[in-house]
Amino acid sequence: MKKYILKRMGMALLTLLLITFVLFVLVRIMPGNPFPSERMSAEQIVNKRAELGLDDPILVQFGRYMGNLLHGDFGKGTSLYYGAPIKTVLGQCISNSFRIGGLAILIGTAVGLLLGITAALNKGTFLDAFCTVFSIVGVCVPGYVFLIFLQYYLSYKVQVFPYFFDASRFLHSSVLPSLSLSLFTMSTVARFTRNEMVEVMDSDYVHLAESKGMHGGMLVRKHILRNALIPIVTVLAPLIVDLLTGALVVEKIYGINGIGKLMVDAIAGEGIDYNYVLALGILYSALYIGIMLAVDILYGLLDPRIRVASSGEGDA
Amino acid sequence: MLSSLVLAGCGGGSGDSGGDGAAGGSYVGVMLGTNVMSLDTDLATDGDSFEVIADCIDGLMQMDAEGAAVEALAEAYEVSEDGKTYTFTLRDAKWSNGTPVTANDFVFAWRRICKNAGEYAYMMDEIGNIKGAAAIVAGDEDDTTTLGVTAPDDKTLVVELEVPVSFFPSLMYFPTFYPINEEFYTSLEDGTYGTSPDTFLSCGAFMLEDYLPGTANLSVKRNPDYWDAENVKLEGISYQVVGSSDNALTAFKNNSLDIVMISGNQVAAAEDDAELSQSLKVTGAGYMWYLSFSQTEKNAQGGMLANQNLRLAITNAIDREALVDNYVMDGSLATFTAVPPQFAASDTTGEDFSADQQRFADFVGYDVERAQGFFEDAKAELEVDSFEFTMIYGNNEGDEVAKVAQAIKEQVEGNLPGITINLQPMTKAERLDKMQNDDYDVALTRWGPDYADPMTYLGMWVTNNSNNYGFWSNEEYDKIIADCTTGAFVSDYDARWSALYDAETLVMQEAVIAPLYTKANANLISSRVSGVDFHPVALNRVYKAATVS
Amino acid sequence: MADTAYTPVAGDFEFLTGRDIATDKNFASMSYWKGVALHFLNNRRAVVGVVIVSTIMLLAVVGPLISPYGYKDIVSVVDEGGRQVVARGISPQLPFLGHGSGPFADRLFPFGTDDLGRDLWTRTWQGARISLVIAFVTIFIDMIIGMSYGLVSGYFGGAVDNVMQRVVEVANSVPRLVIVSVLAIFMPKGMGLVIVALLLTEWIGMSKIARAEMLRIKEEEYVLASRTLGARSTHIIFRQILPSTIGPIITQVMFSIPTAIFTEAFLSFVGVGIVLPQCSIGSLIESGFNNITTLPYQILPPIIVLALQMLGFNFIGDGFREALAPKLEDM
Repeated sequence: MKKYILKRMGMALLTLLLITFVLFVLVRIMPGNPFPSERMSAEQIVNKRAELGLDDPILVQFGRYMGNLLHGDFGKGTSLYYGAPIKTVLGQCISNSFRIGGLAILIGTAVGLLLGITAALNKGTFLDAFCTVFSIVGVCVPGYVFLIFLQYYLSYKVQVFPYFFDASRFLHSSVLPSLSLSLFTMSTVARFTRNEMVEVMDSDYVHLAESKGMHGGMLVRKHILRNALIPIVTVLAPLIVDLLTGALVVEKIYGINGIGKLMVDAIAGEGIDYNYVLALGILYSALYIGIMLAVDILYGLLDPRIRVASSGEGDA
Repeated sequence: MLSSLVLAGCGGGSGDSGGDGAAGGSYVGVMLGTNVMSLDTDLATDGDSFEVIADCIDGLMQMDAEGAAVEALAEAYEVSEDGKTYTFTLRDAKWSNGTPVTANDFVFAWRRICKNAGEYAYMMDEIGNIKGAAAIVAGDEDDTTTLGVTAPDDKTLVVELEVPVSFFPSLMYFPTFYPINEEFYTSLEDGTYGTSPDTFLSCGAFMLEDYLPGTANLSVKRNPDYWDAENVKLEGISYQVVGSSDNALTAFKNNSLDIVMISGNQVAAAEDDAELSQSLKVTGAGYMWYLSFSQTEKNAQGGMLANQNLRLAITNAIDREALVDNYVMDGSLATFTAVPPQFAASDTTGEDFSADQQRFADFVGYDVERAQGFFEDAKAELEVDSFEFTMIYGNNEGDEVAKVAQAIKEQVEGNLPGITINLQPMTKAERLDKMQNDDYDVALTRWGPDYADPMTYLGMWVTNNSNNYGFWSNEEYDKIIADCTTGAFVSDYDARWSALYDAETLVMQEAVIAPLYTKANANLISSRVSGVDFHPVALNRVYKAATVS
Repeated sequence: MADTAYTPVAGDFEFLTGRDIATDKNFASMSYWKGVALHFLNNRRAVVGVVIVSTIMLLAVVGPLISPYGYKDIVSVVDEGGRQVVARGISPQLPFLGHGSGPFADRLFPFGTDDLGRDLWTRTWQGARISLVIAFVTIFIDMIIGMSYGLVSGYFGGAVDNVMQRVVEVANSVPRLVIVSVLAIFMPKGMGLVIVALLLTEWIGMSKIARAEMLRIKEEEYVLASRTLGARSTHIIFRQILPSTIGPIITQVMFSIPTAIFTEAFLSFVGVGIVLPQCSIGSLIESGFNNITTLPYQILPPIIVLALQMLGFNFIGDGFREALAPKLEDM
């Protein structure tokens, strides 16, 4: 197992390095002047480029960038929050996005599981139909649409929640965005849980357990849920990345300065900010790879078959 | 991992930032259209950043309610007889860390701006004409002590200019010319100046209370040590970044914010609402939208737009009144002059430079017949019957821009059969990039005045000026502008004024640009707030005299 | 075996004459698909899905055609004073029911007009049309790319698979917005850009399904048999295995279409998608959002169309999945 994990981690690091390089090259050939300026002379721009080393060979630039990156330095923005180090801005945005995304994942997974289990245990009844309809609506309507309506009714018509996100009143002002973000996760998890559970409930070993006289909570917990939950981890992983990296539109609507909004600002703002796009791209990729790695390892822990198949040393 | 993040979130919730932004407090809640990009005068380029900087730092001069320059950190100033040397005497003022504001703070800040040669360094050399600035900005001179700014003692600042600049005192309220305390600045880690309340010194009416780069809400509080503290009534201002003007309207309606800016659609709704219409206040935003025509050969079907009649045909086929009435709808003014109204008044008569919008009615106006006449001439001269141009515009420059672009397309195509205009939206940065590389046919673009003189507009159409995106060139025009900036007219105010009209006539006669409208800001101001000054130039909102009930 | 190698001669392998192999094979596959179709049509939700999707498609084609206004036309009249009056912000009005007032009282605007004075009925269906075109074009091409990639990767396995899967991993970890903005160098914004952006990201899911199917099928006897008989890889992949993967792939397509519509809506909402005056469901939702307090009715039609499209395609996808694996449905 240890060997397997180490190997996977090595692969993940290599992938990340490759992505960083690809992103670096892509971002450097992006359109637009890094200094969108109406007032600088051509001479000034030439000087600025030279100062930032933008005219050096791309490999030299990449080497320098990686060197700084190892010290945790993402550089400074070229057209966004110019003076400040990117890590300062990024830190703040990550904290907002992660908190709201994390809350959404918690709500979404918890309620989704509950709905899915309820539906599966009451298959064919009204409860099942209700959960099915609910999960369909959640998948069919984008989260930001819910937010638009929630904001309109709960913060404007009836002023229960703040109209904008305010980091200093975090819990109060993250109810609406977290709730709207969680709906997609909720529906997906509910739907998946129900289907998996129904399938597991119909499997031979559950029938066997039933025929041996096992019933009720014990059966559900020990045999059905455990086996149904394993695949859910795989569905959840990409959703987690999406939620943590900021639901762009939700952040835009609710005035949250998170990484999603930062990404849009960096690309569609006044000017494309090379360094922010790069930093965010690396961050996004690292998160994705990291979570996929975690899922792989978790999967190995949950499902002994995989562990055996992929490493050969079956020490738990 | 997740639960610990959420717990951290709960902990953060108990922290109190002071100004909670909700109307009803002693703070005024104000909307910002974009995030504050920087609080460093060397790096800031946008109006919102300038506004927050100006809350916290004073210049030598400040704007009074009417926008005229009056003394602020300077107690008095003298101009030498040749108009080339300004001597400012500073009053007793303190930075928020207790050290006095000295003349050296200005010298340090100005040298730094020239040395770093950022976006607004041009205020030092091109506009302010400060001695030695041009060489430092261009990178030809490394020794910043050659800049014509000196501090003979702590209270005296001497500025030497290359040529007399009649509007020099009014430049002094622009944030680029604000002071920075050298000792404090050098004590900070590189790159951290102005990135938090701890790394920023105030000497203005307010001091920074809550700020982080990239934050969506920030606040400033009253500065008790301000030299004019007795006249500042406001406890503080709490700013909130609001991305959509519809959100702005709702935030105002449910009392989340006291001062917001709304756009056309919301203005129409606000006007219909008895209560809201009371709060509506239209103020000049200063900047003018216009069409820039590329006249070079590589664009517009081989330089078709170099044809004057074709340009005149287009500019006369546009119904500007319909544009502002039907699409912009926020009180913006249809504009028929190359210098927009309401920002530059004559020093001697006090009259607005562009008060008379009919001045060029002989060349520009909405007149389909005349437009078609020009169009026929153009077709005959160019021996072409149909034209197809691409018009570029920014899709992140305001709600109304896309609408205006589309309306112009409809108007021109409708009034001048034979012209096709293809719309191509892009970000503002891409638009600028295309214009600077002369890779466009027609651009919907804008320019805001940095200082209160017509030259901020007319200076752009000089041959080889970096803002002359049309590459129009006219010797007579160049001569007039040269005379007005460095030559014969610099010391004769009225002669210069009338020469500027001559220059403007040339621009309009040849339709170098097609002015469209002068942007206004439609503000909603809560009835509990009064005394906020709105200006079209430099600083859009000033809160020194504001009160809240 | 090593010493006395037997060299096969042509005569060793001869087809039995007089036996129509083709009929046999055809019959089997016919019956399979017939079964699938039967299952599908007996599934009430799937049929509802088909009805919803076909109704929207029909309206997307017919809606703009039967409207007297073009989707980018600004509806206006000239009043007595010679000034242009634009039909701006008119809430849904049905004149034959006595709705409507002002200079446009007699006009039919079932969904109202937008803030520019354009008919929302026309724009909504035009938007639906654009969204569907984008979805179908991208998914069709993605299906081809993703299937080939996944099949090849799965078939060869080993080092080839490893390299190809690393590429997928890399491609999958680059944020879509970054891809979009890099693309913007090479092409103008608009439909083309959205399509290419979707092309570059959506094939990954398809290739994963194809690869998984391949890994499953390639161990089956008939594949082993034809490999032993010396069939070329391309033949095995595309002629023998591909047909068996069609089922799961179609299911994946049905789920990918709503994803594409969703993504298009998202890109347009953020401002890197469809270019005005063209419209899509996403850009319509965005302009509705920008006017939600002043013209609240404006946001509803595109949202409802979006939701119905998603619903319809999800139903169809579910229907397919259940029809292909009838065991699930029988329970």
